[in-house]
Amino acid sequence: MKIIDKVINWARLKSPWVIHFNAGACNGCDIEVVAALTPTYDIERFGSILRGTPRHADVLLCSGPVTRQLKDRLVRIYEQMPEPKFVIAIGACACSGGAIDGCYSVVSGVDQAVPVSMYIPGCPASPDAIIDGVVKLLKSYEDSLKQADEKNENGK
Amino acid sequence: MILLLLKILVFPGILFLVVLSMIGEYFDRKVYAKMQNRMGPPWFQPVADFIKLLAKELIIPKNADRKIFKALPLVACSSVIIAYLYIPLWRKESIMSFNGDIIFVLYMLTIPTLTYSLAGWYSRSQYALIGSMRVLTQLFSYEVPLFMAVLAPTILASSWSFTEVINFYNAGGSLWLVNFIAFAVAIVTLQGKLEKVPFDIPEAETEIVAGSFTEYTGPLFAYFRLAMNMQTIAGASLVAAVFLPFGYGSFFIFNFIIYIIKVTFIIFLLAVIRTIFARLRTDQMLSFCWKYLAPIALVQILINVIIKAAVLK
Repeated sequence: MKIIDKVINWARLKSPWVIHFNAGACNGCDIEVVAALTPTYDIERFGSILRGTPRHADVLLCSGPVTRQLKDRLVRIYEQMPEPKFVIAIGACACSGGAIDGCYSVVSGVDQAVPVSMYIPGCPASPDAIIDGVVKLLKSYEDSLKQADEKNENGK
Repeated sequence: MILLLLKILVFPGILFLVVLSMIGEYFDRKVYAKMQNRMGPPWFQPVADFIKLLAKELIIPKNADRKIFKALPLVACSSVIIAYLYIPLWRKESIMSFNGDIIFVLYMLTIPTLTYSLAGWYSRSQYALIGSMRVLTQLFSYEVPLFMAVLAPTILASSWSFTEVINFYNAGGSLWLVNFIAFAVAIVTLQGKLEKVPFDIPEAETEIVAGSFTEYTGPLFAYFRLAMNMQTIAGASLVAAVFLPFGYGSFFIFNFIIYIIKVTFIIFLLAVIRTIFARLRTDQMLSFCWKYLAPIALVQILINVIIKAAVLK
């Protein structure tokens, strides 16, 4: 890996800006996400701040089982985010549909609409779990970069 | 010639300003965090944010005007840098100067605000449009008190040149303490210029997404953020040069440290104001600036005129 790539990857790992989107959740997970953004949990330690627009964000925190009406909007929000981007499904509903899996008005899970990088179960997922999830997402991204790097070097 | 170029590009010029603006952003965020009783970001945070934004994908909306959309962040950055070159930092002379450079610096620091407004206008997005209108409304409310406050000390010095104002107040002992009211007005209006709480109406993220920067992604947004941070440093240096004209001795190191302390003090004041207040509405901001700040700045001008007529002769 070139030095400039290393610097860029370091910067990406150190400043994951998040945006929060409710795709039909009961608001339980959203309150926990908002709680995770308060000074008590202080996600700015990891360089994370909440942005209002998907254009500035790296990580989409998505809660809810994705209602059919919201699916197109969710896809649009996802496409408005610049690369590289990640989606975290927060709560049991966002992971698999949860209690309302199979209901006529939902598509059961965020991964039915957009690719998801990290699932955080829980009803609702606690702020600690959400922060843990974001940190683990960054760790897995770092590991995948390392693996790709090793593969490249072996290929040569 | 080469020395001048080095001065402009490296030491008291562009590179120094960029580094100082990053440190300033870190200090601002750390004070904000400490006052909220939390840890706050690590020291490299502004650098990481800047590099990450530079490396992100650049999306230009289909309806936006491509050329102007791309040019505006660079216009904002370069106008702040030009303004900074004319402000005296730790010497009595700035890198470049002419008679009347205080007015020039004030106008150069207005241009970034105009580019923020144009950025929203040319994004062709509803939220960005509302943001750009709010930027202009806010500009009309804080700009007049700021100009009056910054130009009040120059009445005593009878000059619109930084060097002469500093020379005058250095010769006049503790006469600069007279300008305390104007200093307070300048700090409050500087907060409005930098669009921070309580005057963050243009980018109120709970109301209008992200204001005029809603459609800006990656590198272009990085340059806008950089321009904003550099504007903080340039504004703080301007206020320091006009209202705190001391510490221009013969020792370079001492002068440099005093300059850093002055800028840090002003950024600290801005951060404290940012923490302890909540956002105002547009009409509250307008009436506050025109009903209170502008008359207070006028009182300062009156005091200075009286002192000039009665005491200095």
